Amino acid sequence: MAYEEFGLTEGDFYSRNFQKGMREDTMILNLGPQHPATHGVLRVIVELDGEYVIRAEPVIGYLHRMHEKMAEGRTITQYLPNMGRVDYGHALGWNGALVGAVERLAGFEVPERAEYIRVITTELNRITSHLLWWGAFTLDLGAITPIMYAFDDREQMLDILQMATGSRLTHSSFRFGGVCTDLSDRFIETCKAFVPHMRDRLPMYRGLVTDNVILRKRLEGVGIFDADLCRRYGASGPVVRGSGIDYDVRRAEPYSVYDRFDWKVPVYPAGDSMARYLVRMDEMEQSLNIIEQALASLPAGKIMMPKAPKVTWALPKGESYFATEGARGKVGVHLVSDGGKFPYKIKLRSPCYCNLSAFAEAARGLLLADALAILGSLDLVIPEIDR
Amino acid sequence: MTETLFDGLAVQSLAKCDPAKTGLLWSVFLSPDELLSAVKRLYQAEYFIEDLTAIDAKEGYLLVYHFDHMGHPGRVALRVLISQEAPELPSIADVFQGAEWHERETTDFYGITFKGNPNPVPLLLMPEMKGHPLQKDDGARASLADLLPTGEIVRTVPGFDLLTPKAESGAATPA
Repeated sequence: MAYEEFGLTEGDFYSRNFQKGMREDTMILNLGPQHPATHGVLRVIVELDGEYVIRAEPVIGYLHRMHEKMAEGRTITQYLPNMGRVDYGHALGWNGALVGAVERLAGFEVPERAEYIRVITTELNRITSHLLWWGAFTLDLGAITPIMYAFDDREQMLDILQMATGSRLTHSSFRFGGVCTDLSDRFIETCKAFVPHMRDRLPMYRGLVTDNVILRKRLEGVGIFDADLCRRYGASGPVVRGSGIDYDVRRAEPYSVYDRFDWKVPVYPAGDSMARYLVRMDEMEQSLNIIEQALASLPAGKIMMPKAPKVTWALPKGESYFATEGARGKVGVHLVSDGGKFPYKIKLRSPCYCNLSAFAEAARGLLLADALAILGSLDLVIPEIDR
Repeated sequence: MTETLFDGLAVQSLAKCDPAKTGLLWSVFLSPDELLSAVKRLYQAEYFIEDLTAIDAKEGYLLVYHFDHMGHPGRVALRVLISQEAPELPSIADVFQGAEWHERETTDFYGITFKGNPNPVPLLLMPEMKGHPLQKDDGARASLADLLPTGEIVRTVPGFDLLTPKAESGAATPA
């Protein structure tokens, strides 16, 4: 029993443990796991001096489903749909990491057309994820309207994605050695028409929200992550790119066909919540650029490699690690196989988990309302943290 | 990472791997005593921590620490073997604070103790939970030689045979 082990006898484990060694003139506030300012069931315990945060501790695990244990009881093909459930926001980023790790281990060659389809759908999915974040984040900050605009665009994109993946949210369309369905003419038409529409919307977002003085005052200079902090906690994605580090897995560990397109990695040096915000806003535009080029140069051909694995297929012996750039950062799958029916071990590296672990240090000394702005600027998806 | 980063440390084995086949650039075996010195060198060379986990094998728990570099990408895997009877090794959360959560998670899943972790309470599992879900039964454990690539060995200490297949010793396993 953990209670005795940590010198506790009763009450709520994490609150009591957090209270050990607290000052006499401060108070402890418990946010969540059910709280309007946290998305999903995230809980944060903070010690406050007036309105200033002295200490904070995120308490996670409320959505823990033990995905890594599930991997030990099914074949790798049966395990593939789990990936869309780890991160419902950017399911295809996780799809890509698992199929990448398996293809690397087994030495599979993926047809070119399938790689293009993966890129197009992954980037569409990145935009839907950023839109969800944008709406929810501005809602956190007290702006009610933006989420209506975000969901308008996002719904249209989900419809487009549904044509290619068959699902709205927990996409699971990648396969080992390809993708499950080809792009229909209707998809290509709709998507080609949607890209300019979305590109026109972005300046409106900027005028409506990004340049708003209230938003800027809430975010500028708040929650600074410097490069050293990012490295010590293993932060990645828009968080490091908002701290002046030009690091994107699509460039650093090139995979799929990203190297064939002309696109930029947005980097902002300030390290504050505003910088993280601006990185994501710019990324939507870059994703549109990638989608447009990929659609224009989509090669003909097969979408699955010959003799693709069946559901009972067993992984070959060995170890592989594959990382992709998810909407929230570096998604990693570490795969170990002994050649048996089921994988020997799978470790999922969640970017949000690492980004959130830096929160306690970054929030120290800030106003509580600013600490909440940091949480929002990290784009947390709780099921991905808890796995 | 250059090959010289771990010079002067008592590394058990340092091997270069093919990133296209394994995702790793370097695979480094260390004793638990050398872990902190190696991790400090990675920190000074501006590596960041990716994740850490354990592999439950016949020989013991193999802790695997992944680090990568944002300027010169190339994954480094530090590997530390500890026994299943006394699963204990030093925490690296003093150098890489992000390791605190990864270590707590590994404690939850495998029952491994990280000495010096600043807040070693359960992270993902309930405090009331007994047992460690990712531990394997004796019969289900595989040997490390069957699981890991050997890579191209740059240096090794005499007598280091963790990755040598026991049946046909001397034969190289493919990287």
